Amino acid sequence: MSPFSTDGCEVSTGFLFSHPCGLPAGALCPRCGKSVCDAHLSSNQEGALVCTSCAAAGDDDSEGDDSTNEDSEDPSSYYEDYGYYGSGSSWSRGSSKDPHDFTEADGESLRHEQDASFEEDLGGS
Amino acid sequence: MGTRWLIYALGGGMGHFTRACGLARVAARRGHRVTVVTNSVFAPAVPLEDVLGAGAHVHRLNPDLAKAAVREAVECLLDGVRPEVLVVDTFPRGLAGELAPLLPGLRMGKVLVHRDLNPTYVERFNVAAAVEDFDLLLVPGEDAPFSQHPRAVRTAPWLLLERDEWLGRAQARQQLGVDPEDARPLVAVMGSGNAEEVAEAGAIATRLQARLGASAPVRWLAPPGPWFPVRPAKSGAPARNMLQPVRVWPALAVMPGVDILVGAGGYNTVQEARVTGTPLVALARARRYDRQAVRLRPEELARTEAELMERVVALVGPRVARAPETYSGGARDAVALIERTVLSA
Repeated sequence: MSPFSTDGCEVSTGFLFSHPCGLPAGALCPRCGKSVCDAHLSSNQEGALVCTSCAAAGDDDSEGDDSTNEDSEDPSSYYEDYGYYGSGSSWSRGSSKDPHDFTEADGESLRHEQDASFEEDLGGS
Repeated sequence: MGTRWLIYALGGGMGHFTRACGLARVAARRGHRVTVVTNSVFAPAVPLEDVLGAGAHVHRLNPDLAKAAVREAVECLLDGVRPEVLVVDTFPRGLAGELAPLLPGLRMGKVLVHRDLNPTYVERFNVAAAVEDFDLLLVPGEDAPFSQHPRAVRTAPWLLLERDEWLGRAQARQQLGVDPEDARPLVAVMGSGNAEEVAEAGAIATRLQARLGASAPVRWLAPPGPWFPVRPAKSGAPARNMLQPVRVWPALAVMPGVDILVGAGGYNTVQEARVTGTPLVALARARRYDRQAVRLRPEELARTEAELMERVVALVGPRVARAPETYSGGARDAVALIERTVLSA
Protein backbone atom coordinates (compact mmCIF):
# COMPACT_ATOMS: atom_id res chain seq x y z
CA MET A 1 0.00 0.00 0.00
CA SER A 2 1.28 3.43 -0.84
CA PRO A 3 2.32 5.44 2.19
CA PHE A 4 0.67 8.46 0.60
CA SER A 5 -3.03 9.19 0.83
CA THR A 6 -4.99 8.19 -2.25
CA ASP A 7 -7.53 10.91 -1.42
CA GLY A 8 -4.91 13.60 -1.42
CA CYS A 9 -3.14 15.62 -4.04
CA GLU A 10 -1.78 13.39 -6.79
CA VAL A 11 0.82 15.76 -8.17
CA SER A 12 4.30 14.26 -8.00
CA THR A 13 6.71 15.92 -5.65
CA GLY A 14 9.91 15.08 -3.79
CA PHE A 15 13.46 16.29 -4.01
CA LEU A 16 15.08 12.90 -4.49
CA PHE A 17 12.26 10.38 -4.54
CA SER A 18 9.18 11.24 -6.51
CA HIS A 19 5.90 10.60 -4.72
CA PRO A 20 2.37 12.00 -4.75
CA CYS A 21 2.06 15.17 -2.66
CA GLY A 22 -0.74 13.71 -0.53
CA LEU A 23 -2.02 16.97 0.94
CA PRO A 24 -5.81 17.42 0.98
CA ALA A 25 -6.97 18.01 -2.58
CA GLY A 26 -9.46 20.78 -3.26
CA ALA A 27 -9.72 20.55 -7.04
CA LEU A 28 -9.30 18.40 -10.09
CA CYS A 29 -6.90 19.43 -12.80
CA PRO A 30 -9.05 20.02 -15.91
CA ARG A 31 -6.20 18.85 -18.10
CA CYS A 32 -5.00 15.59 -16.57
CA GLY A 33 -7.82 14.89 -14.11
CA LYS A 34 -5.60 14.52 -11.08
CA SER A 35 -6.69 15.63 -7.62
CA VAL A 36 -4.75 18.77 -6.74
CA CYS A 37 -4.12 20.67 -3.51
CA ASP A 38 -3.96 24.46 -3.36
CA ALA A 39 -0.18 24.45 -3.38
CA HIS A 40 -0.05 22.56 -6.66
CA LEU A 41 -2.61 24.63 -8.54
CA SER A 42 -1.24 27.07 -11.04
CA SER A 43 -2.37 29.12 -14.03
CA ASN A 44 -1.35 28.00 -17.47
CA GLN A 45 -0.63 30.35 -20.35
CA GLU A 46 -4.35 30.62 -21.09
CA GLY A 47 -5.06 31.63 -17.51
CA ALA A 48 -6.83 28.38 -16.62
CA LEU A 49 -6.17 26.78 -13.24
CA VAL A 50 -4.34 23.47 -13.80
CA CYS A 51 -1.91 21.37 -11.78
CA THR A 52 1.68 22.55 -11.69
CA SER A 53 2.81 19.64 -13.90
CA CYS A 54 0.39 20.62 -16.66
CA ALA A 55 1.23 24.29 -16.21
CA ALA A 56 4.92 23.51 -16.62
CA ALA A 57 4.21 21.38 -19.67
CA GLY A 58 2.60 24.42 -21.30
CA ASP A 59 0.24 24.13 -24.23
CA ASP A 60 2.15 21.54 -26.17
CA ASP A 61 -0.56 18.99 -26.88
CA SER A 62 1.88 16.70 -28.61
CA GLU A 63 3.27 15.63 -25.27
CA GLY A 64 0.25 13.44 -24.55
CA ASP A 65 -0.45 12.40 -20.99
CA ASP A 66 2.07 13.24 -18.32
CA SER A 67 2.90 9.71 -17.30
CA THR A 68 5.94 9.79 -19.53
CA ASN A 69 7.16 12.90 -17.82
CA GLU A 70 6.63 11.39 -14.42
CA ASP A 71 8.57 8.32 -15.35
CA SER A 72 11.48 10.29 -16.66
CA GLU A 73 11.51 12.42 -13.53
CA ASP A 74 11.38 9.47 -11.18
CA PRO A 75 14.91 9.14 -9.82
CA SER A 76 14.46 5.37 -9.64
CA SER A 77 14.59 5.35 -13.42
CA TYR A 78 18.32 6.01 -13.13
CA TYR A 79 18.61 2.63 -11.41
CA GLU A 80 16.43 0.72 -13.84
CA ASP A 81 19.05 -1.90 -14.50
CA TYR A 82 20.64 -1.81 -11.08
CA GLY A 83 20.01 -4.94 -9.06
CA TYR A 84 17.32 -4.53 -6.44
CA TYR A 85 16.53 -0.95 -7.39
CA GLY A 86 14.83 -1.72 -10.67
CA SER A 87 11.36 -0.66 -11.72
CA GLY A 88 9.81 -3.68 -10.02
CA SER A 89 11.47 -3.06 -6.69
CA SER A 90 9.75 -2.06 -3.51
CA TRP A 91 11.29 1.39 -3.90
CA SER A 92 9.50 2.01 -7.13
CA ARG A 93 6.23 0.69 -5.70
CA GLY A 94 6.52 3.11 -2.84
CA SER A 95 6.01 0.36 -0.27
CA SER A 96 9.13 1.05 1.73
CA LYS A 97 9.26 4.80 1.82
CA ASP A 98 12.17 5.99 3.83
CA PRO A 99 10.89 8.43 6.46
CA HIS A 100 14.13 10.30 5.94
CA ASP A 101 13.50 10.90 2.22
CA PHE A 102 14.10 14.47 1.25
CA THR A 103 11.14 16.63 0.31
CA GLU A 104 10.95 19.97 -1.44
CA ALA A 105 11.19 21.61 1.94
CA ASP A 106 14.68 20.21 2.33
CA GLY A 107 15.79 21.50 -1.03
CA GLU A 108 17.16 24.79 0.24
CA SER A 109 19.80 23.08 2.34
CA LEU A 110 20.68 20.61 -0.39
CA ARG A 111 21.67 22.87 -3.22
CA HIS A 112 24.77 20.82 -3.96
CA GLU A 113 23.52 17.72 -5.69
CA GLN A 114 26.71 15.85 -4.92
CA ASP A 115 25.97 16.18 -1.19
CA ALA A 116 22.35 15.20 -1.33
CA SER A 117 22.73 11.45 -1.12
CA PHE A 118 25.56 11.16 1.40
CA GLU A 119 24.21 8.89 4.14
CA GLU A 120 20.97 8.56 2.18
CA ASP A 121 22.03 6.29 -0.67
CA LEU A 122 22.63 3.04 1.19
CA GLY A 123 23.98 1.37 -1.93
CA GLY A 124 26.74 3.98 -2.00
CA SER A 125 30.33 2.98 -1.87
CA MET B 1 41.74 -16.66 24.02
CA GLY B 2 39.39 -15.72 21.19
CA THR B 3 37.30 -12.59 21.38
CA ARG B 4 34.09 -11.50 19.71
CA TRP B 5 34.49 -9.21 16.69
CA LEU B 6 31.81 -7.41 14.71
CA ILE B 7 33.02 -6.14 11.33
CA TYR B 8 30.75 -3.48 9.88
CA ALA B 9 31.11 -3.65 6.08
CA LEU B 10 28.03 -1.85 4.84
CA GLY B 11 28.25 -0.23 1.41
CA GLY B 12 27.62 -1.08 -2.22
CA GLY B 13 29.72 -3.10 -4.60
CA MET B 14 32.10 -5.79 -3.44
CA GLY B 15 34.91 -3.74 -1.97
CA HIS B 16 33.66 -3.40 1.58
CA PHE B 17 32.78 -7.02 2.25
CA THR B 18 35.80 -8.37 0.38
CA ARG B 19 38.22 -6.27 2.43
CA ALA B 20 36.27 -7.12 5.59
CA CYS B 21 36.36 -10.83 4.84
CA GLY B 22 40.09 -10.64 4.22
CA LEU B 23 40.43 -9.44 7.80
CA ALA B 24 37.72 -11.73 9.17
CA ARG B 25 39.21 -14.99 7.95
CA VAL B 26 42.61 -14.16 9.46
CA ALA B 27 40.97 -13.20 12.76
CA ALA B 28 38.85 -16.37 12.74
CA ARG B 29 41.93 -18.50 12.13
CA ARG B 30 43.47 -16.83 15.18
CA GLY B 31 40.55 -18.10 17.24
CA HIS B 32 38.35 -15.02 17.31
CA ARG B 33 34.61 -15.29 16.72
CA VAL B 34 33.84 -12.90 13.91
CA THR B 35 30.57 -11.57 12.50
CA VAL B 36 30.67 -9.60 9.25
CA VAL B 37 27.65 -7.46 8.38
CA THR B 38 27.04 -6.35 4.80
CA ASN B 39 24.15 -4.86 2.82
CA SER B 40 25.69 -5.22 -0.63
CA VAL B 41 23.48 -6.41 -3.48
CA PHE B 42 26.33 -8.78 -4.38
CA ALA B 43 26.47 -10.48 -1.00
CA PRO B 44 23.48 -12.86 -1.26
CA ALA B 45 24.97 -14.65 -4.26
CA VAL B 46 28.62 -14.66 -3.25
CA PRO B 47 29.67 -17.71 -1.19
CA LEU B 48 31.51 -15.76 1.48
CA GLU B 49 31.25 -18.54 4.04
CA ASP B 50 33.30 -20.83 1.78
CA VAL B 51 36.35 -18.61 2.12
CA LEU B 52 35.74 -17.56 5.71
CA GLY B 53 35.60 -21.04 7.17
CA ALA B 54 34.67 -21.86 10.73
CA GLY B 55 34.63 -19.14 13.34
CA ALA B 56 33.22 -16.44 11.09
CA HIS B 57 29.62 -15.63 10.28
CA VAL B 58 28.14 -13.31 7.67
CA HIS B 59 25.03 -11.28 8.40
CA ARG B 60 23.49 -10.10 5.14
CA LEU B 61 21.14 -7.15 5.49
CA ASN B 62 18.55 -6.64 2.80
CA PRO B 63 19.95 -3.98 0.43
CA ASP B 64 16.45 -2.49 0.28
CA LEU B 65 16.39 -1.55 3.95
CA ALA B 66 15.74 2.13 4.57
CA LYS B 67 17.81 4.19 6.96
CA ALA B 68 15.67 3.60 10.02
CA ALA B 69 15.72 -0.16 9.46
CA VAL B 70 19.49 -0.18 8.95
CA ARG B 71 19.95 1.73 12.19
CA GLU B 72 17.71 -0.73 14.01
CA ALA B 73 19.51 -3.74 12.50
CA VAL B 74 22.92 -2.38 13.49
CA GLU B 75 21.74 -1.70 17.05
CA CYS B 76 20.33 -5.24 17.25
CA LEU B 77 23.60 -6.70 16.02
CA LEU B 78 25.63 -4.73 18.53
CA ASP B 79 23.29 -5.91 21.25
CA GLY B 80 23.23 -9.51 20.05
CA VAL B 81 26.90 -10.01 19.23
CA ARG B 82 28.17 -7.88 22.14
CA PRO B 83 31.53 -7.53 20.39
CA GLU B 84 34.75 -6.90 22.21
CA VAL B 85 36.06 -5.39 18.99
CA LEU B 86 34.01 -3.33 16.55
CA VAL B 87 35.73 -2.90 13.19
CA VAL B 88 34.09 -0.33 10.90
CA ASP B 89 35.02 -0.34 7.25
CA THR B 90 35.29 3.05 5.49
CA PHE B 91 32.41 4.95 7.12
CA PRO B 92 33.27 6.17 10.64
CA ARG B 93 29.78 7.61 11.04
CA GLY B 94 28.18 4.48 9.58
CA LEU B 95 26.82 4.29 6.06
CA ALA B 96 23.61 5.99 7.15
CA GLY B 97 25.21 8.12 9.88
CA GLU B 98 23.73 5.73 12.41
CA LEU B 99 26.98 4.91 14.21
CA ALA B 100 27.92 8.51 15.03
CA PRO B 101 25.61 8.90 18.05
CA LEU B 102 26.34 5.36 19.28
CA LEU B 103 30.14 5.34 19.17
CA PRO B 104 30.93 7.44 22.28
CA GLY B 105 28.87 5.11 24.45
CA LEU B 106 30.17 1.81 23.07
CA ARG B 107 32.47 0.11 25.58
CA MET B 108 34.58 -2.02 23.28
CA GLY B 109 37.66 -1.70 21.14
CA LYS B 110 36.83 0.40 18.10
CA VAL B 111 38.82 0.12 14.89
CA LEU B 112 38.30 2.09 11.69
CA VAL B 113 39.42 0.66 8.36
CA HIS B 114 40.35 3.89 6.69
CA ARG B 115 40.56 4.16 2.91
CA ASP B 116 40.04 7.10 0.57
CA LEU B 117 36.87 9.17 1.09
CA ASN B 118 35.28 11.99 -0.86
CA PRO B 119 36.62 15.21 0.76
CA THR B 120 33.24 16.92 0.35
CA TYR B 121 31.66 14.23 2.51
CA VAL B 122 34.49 14.42 5.02
CA GLU B 123 34.09 18.16 5.38
CA ARG B 124 30.33 18.55 5.32
CA PHE B 125 29.53 15.63 7.63
CA ASN B 126 32.27 16.36 10.15
CA VAL B 127 33.83 12.95 9.70
CA ALA B 128 36.82 14.13 11.74
CA ALA B 129 34.70 14.14 14.89
CA ALA B 130 33.60 10.54 14.35
CA VAL B 131 37.19 9.44 13.72
CA GLU B 132 38.09 10.56 17.24
CA ASP B 133 35.85 7.84 18.67
CA PHE B 134 38.13 5.10 17.33
CA ASP B 135 41.02 3.53 19.20
CA LEU B 136 42.88 2.55 16.05
CA LEU B 137 42.76 3.61 12.41
CA LEU B 138 44.08 1.02 9.99
CA VAL B 139 45.07 2.38 6.58
CA PRO B 140 45.27 -0.62 4.24
CA GLY B 141 47.53 0.14 1.34
CA GLU B 142 46.46 3.56 0.13
CA ASP B 143 46.35 7.14 1.30
CA ALA B 144 43.33 8.40 3.22
CA PRO B 145 42.19 11.71 4.75
CA PHE B 146 43.23 10.89 8.33
CA SER B 147 46.24 8.72 7.59
CA GLN B 148 48.39 11.17 9.59
CA HIS B 149 46.21 10.78 12.68
CA PRO B 150 48.25 9.79 15.75
CA ARG B 151 46.31 6.55 16.09
CA ALA B 152 46.57 5.68 12.38
CA VAL B 153 48.77 2.80 11.24
CA ARG B 154 49.45 1.92 7.63
CA THR B 155 49.52 -1.67 6.49
CA ALA B 156 50.02 -3.41 3.18
CA PRO B 157 46.78 -3.89 1.18
CA TRP B 158 44.33 -6.45 2.52
CA LEU B 159 43.48 -9.25 0.15
CA LEU B 160 40.95 -12.01 0.50
CA LEU B 161 43.35 -14.84 -0.25
CA GLU B 162 46.82 -15.55 1.05
CA ARG B 163 49.63 -16.04 -1.45
CA ASP B 164 49.54 -19.83 -1.27
CA GLU B 165 45.85 -19.82 -2.17
CA TRP B 166 46.32 -18.29 -5.62
CA LEU B 167 46.16 -20.77 -8.46
CA GLY B 168 49.25 -21.50 -10.48
CA ARG B 169 49.43 -19.88 -13.92
CA ALA B 170 48.55 -23.00 -15.89
CA GLN B 171 45.67 -23.92 -13.60
CA ALA B 172 44.32 -20.36 -13.61
CA ARG B 173 44.38 -20.19 -17.41
CA GLN B 174 42.68 -23.55 -17.60
CA GLN B 175 39.94 -22.31 -15.30
CA LEU B 176 39.47 -19.36 -17.63
CA GLY B 177 39.15 -21.67 -20.62
CA VAL B 178 42.61 -21.11 -22.09
CA ASP B 179 44.84 -24.03 -22.95
CA PRO B 180 47.89 -23.95 -20.67
CA GLU B 181 50.00 -24.57 -23.79
CA ASP B 182 48.60 -21.43 -25.42
CA ALA B 183 51.40 -18.87 -25.12
CA ARG B 184 49.31 -15.87 -26.15
CA PRO B 185 48.68 -13.20 -23.51
CA LEU B 186 45.31 -13.47 -21.78
CA VAL B 187 43.25 -10.31 -21.37
CA ALA B 188 40.60 -10.37 -18.61
CA VAL B 189 37.89 -7.74 -18.30
CA MET B 190 36.60 -7.58 -14.74
CA GLY B 191 32.89 -7.01 -14.21
CA SER B 192 32.19 -5.40 -10.85
CA GLY B 193 30.60 -2.34 -9.25
CA ASN B 194 26.97 -2.83 -10.22
CA ALA B 195 24.85 -4.70 -12.75
CA GLU B 196 25.21 -2.05 -15.40
CA GLU B 197 28.98 -2.05 -15.12
CA VAL B 198 29.14 -5.85 -15.13
CA ALA B 199 27.23 -5.81 -18.43
CA GLU B 200 29.40 -3.00 -19.75
CA ALA B 201 32.48 -5.08 -19.00
CA GLY B 202 31.01 -7.72 -21.28
CA ALA B 203 30.58 -5.20 -24.08
CA ILE B 204 34.15 -3.98 -23.63
CA ALA B 205 35.46 -7.55 -23.61
CA THR B 206 33.56 -8.29 -26.81
CA ARG B 207 34.93 -5.22 -28.58
CA LEU B 208 38.43 -5.97 -27.34
CA GLN B 209 38.24 -9.52 -28.66
CA ALA B 210 37.12 -8.22 -32.03
CA ARG B 211 40.00 -5.73 -32.06
CA LEU B 212 42.67 -8.18 -30.90
CA GLY B 213 41.51 -11.07 -33.03
CA ALA B 214 43.72 -14.12 -32.74
CA SER B 215 46.56 -12.25 -31.06
CA ALA B 216 45.07 -12.62 -27.55
CA PRO B 217 42.12 -14.41 -25.98
CA VAL B 218 39.82 -12.10 -24.00
CA ARG B 219 37.69 -13.20 -21.05
CA TRP B 220 34.84 -11.40 -19.34
CA LEU B 221 34.98 -12.16 -15.62
CA ALA B 222 31.89 -11.67 -13.47
CA PRO B 223 31.06 -12.60 -9.89
CA PRO B 224 27.89 -14.52 -9.15
CA GLY B 225 25.00 -12.11 -8.73
CA PRO B 226 21.46 -11.13 -9.62
CA TRP B 227 22.55 -9.97 -13.08
CA PHE B 228 23.07 -13.57 -14.24
CA PRO B 229 21.97 -14.26 -16.86
CA VAL B 230 22.89 -10.81 -18.15
CA ARG B 231 19.87 -9.32 -19.90
CA PRO B 232 20.26 -7.88 -23.39
CA ALA B 233 20.05 -4.11 -23.64
CA LYS B 234 16.49 -2.83 -23.92
CA SER B 235 17.15 -0.55 -26.82
CA GLY B 236 18.46 -2.32 -29.85
CA ALA B 237 18.74 -5.90 -30.94
CA PRO B 238 20.62 -8.44 -28.86
CA ALA B 239 24.33 -8.18 -29.51
CA ARG B 240 25.65 -10.88 -31.78
CA ASN B 241 28.88 -12.69 -30.99
CA MET B 242 28.78 -11.29 -27.47
CA LEU B 243 31.31 -12.94 -25.19
CA GLN B 244 29.75 -14.95 -22.40
CA PRO B 245 30.77 -14.15 -18.84
CA VAL B 246 33.01 -16.49 -16.90
CA ARG B 247 31.72 -16.76 -13.35
CA VAL B 248 34.74 -16.17 -11.15
CA TRP B 249 34.98 -15.40 -7.46
CA PRO B 250 37.29 -14.54 -5.89
CA ALA B 251 39.06 -13.28 -9.00
CA LEU B 252 42.34 -13.02 -7.12
CA ALA B 253 42.66 -16.80 -7.35
CA VAL B 254 43.00 -16.71 -11.16
CA MET B 255 45.04 -13.51 -11.42
CA PRO B 256 48.33 -15.38 -12.00
CA GLY B 257 46.86 -16.58 -15.29
CA VAL B 258 45.88 -13.10 -16.46
CA ASP B 259 48.40 -11.05 -18.44
CA ILE B 260 46.41 -7.82 -18.77
CA LEU B 261 43.57 -6.87 -16.45
CA VAL B 262 40.92 -4.42 -17.65
CA GLY B 263 38.50 -3.02 -15.11
CA ALA B 264 37.60 -0.10 -12.90
CA GLY B 265 39.45 1.67 -10.11
CA GLY B 266 37.86 0.01 -7.09
CA TYR B 267 40.04 -0.95 -4.14
CA ASN B 268 40.15 -4.69 -4.73
CA THR B 269 40.69 -4.65 -8.49
CA VAL B 270 43.52 -2.17 -8.14
CA GLN B 271 45.24 -3.78 -5.17
CA GLU B 272 44.89 -7.30 -6.56
CA ALA B 273 46.42 -6.19 -9.86
CA ARG B 274 49.32 -4.43 -8.15
CA VAL B 275 50.06 -7.14 -5.63
CA THR B 276 50.05 -9.87 -8.29
CA GLY B 277 52.05 -7.70 -10.68
CA THR B 278 49.33 -7.82 -13.35
CA PRO B 279 49.28 -4.82 -15.73
CA LEU B 280 45.99 -2.94 -15.21
CA VAL B 281 44.11 -0.67 -17.58
CA ALA B 282 41.09 0.85 -15.87
CA LEU B 283 38.29 3.35 -16.25
CA ALA B 284 37.61 5.51 -13.19
CA ARG B 285 33.95 4.94 -12.35
CA ALA B 286 31.91 7.59 -10.57
CA ARG B 287 31.28 6.73 -6.92
CA ARG B 288 29.71 8.72 -4.14
CA TYR B 289 32.46 8.22 -1.57
CA ASP B 290 35.34 6.70 -3.47
CA ARG B 291 37.61 8.55 -5.90
CA GLN B 292 38.79 5.96 -8.36
CA ALA B 293 40.68 8.48 -10.49
CA VAL B 294 42.77 9.33 -7.44
CA ARG B 295 43.48 5.69 -6.65
CA LEU B 296 44.60 4.81 -10.17
CA ARG B 297 48.12 5.62 -11.28
CA PRO B 298 48.59 7.47 -14.59
CA GLU B 299 49.82 4.31 -16.28
CA GLU B 300 46.67 2.46 -15.12
CA LEU B 301 44.05 5.11 -15.86
CA ALA B 302 42.26 5.24 -19.22
CA ARG B 303 40.04 8.30 -19.55
CA THR B 304 37.90 6.94 -22.37
CA GLU B 305 37.04 3.54 -23.74
CA ALA B 306 38.94 4.38 -26.92
CA GLU B 307 42.05 5.11 -24.86
CA LEU B 308 41.50 1.89 -22.93
CA MET B 309 41.40 -0.09 -26.18
CA GLU B 310 44.60 1.48 -27.46
CA ARG B 311 46.43 0.86 -24.19
CA VAL B 312 45.43 -2.79 -24.17
CA VAL B 313 46.44 -3.25 -27.80
CA ALA B 314 49.83 -1.69 -27.02
CA LEU B 315 50.30 -3.97 -23.99
CA VAL B 316 49.44 -7.10 -25.98
CA GLY B 317 52.24 -6.16 -28.41
CA PRO B 318 55.44 -8.17 -28.60
CA ARG B 319 55.82 -8.92 -24.90
CA VAL B 320 53.63 -8.27 -21.87
CA ALA B 321 55.63 -6.96 -18.94
CA ARG B 322 54.55 -8.33 -15.59
CA ALA B 323 55.75 -6.55 -12.48
CA PRO B 324 57.09 -8.58 -9.56
CA GLU B 325 54.60 -9.74 -6.95
CA THR B 326 54.47 -7.65 -3.80
CA TYR B 327 52.25 -9.73 -1.52
CA SER B 328 52.96 -9.10 2.14
CA GLY B 329 49.85 -10.08 4.09
CA GLY B 330 48.37 -6.75 5.17
CA ALA B 331 45.33 -8.38 6.78
CA ARG B 332 47.57 -10.54 8.96
CA ASP B 333 49.44 -7.46 10.15
CA ALA B 334 46.12 -5.74 10.82
CA VAL B 335 44.86 -8.55 13.03
CA ALA B 336 48.15 -8.53 14.94
CA LEU B 337 47.85 -4.75 15.41
CA ILE B 338 44.30 -5.05 16.72
CA GLU B 339 45.33 -7.77 19.13
CA ARG B 340 48.32 -5.80 20.33
CA THR B 341 46.93 -2.28 20.58
CA VAL B 342 43.20 -2.71 21.16
CA LEU B 343 42.67 -6.01 22.92
CA SER B 344 45.66 -5.71 25.22
CA ALA B 345 44.91 -2.09 26.17
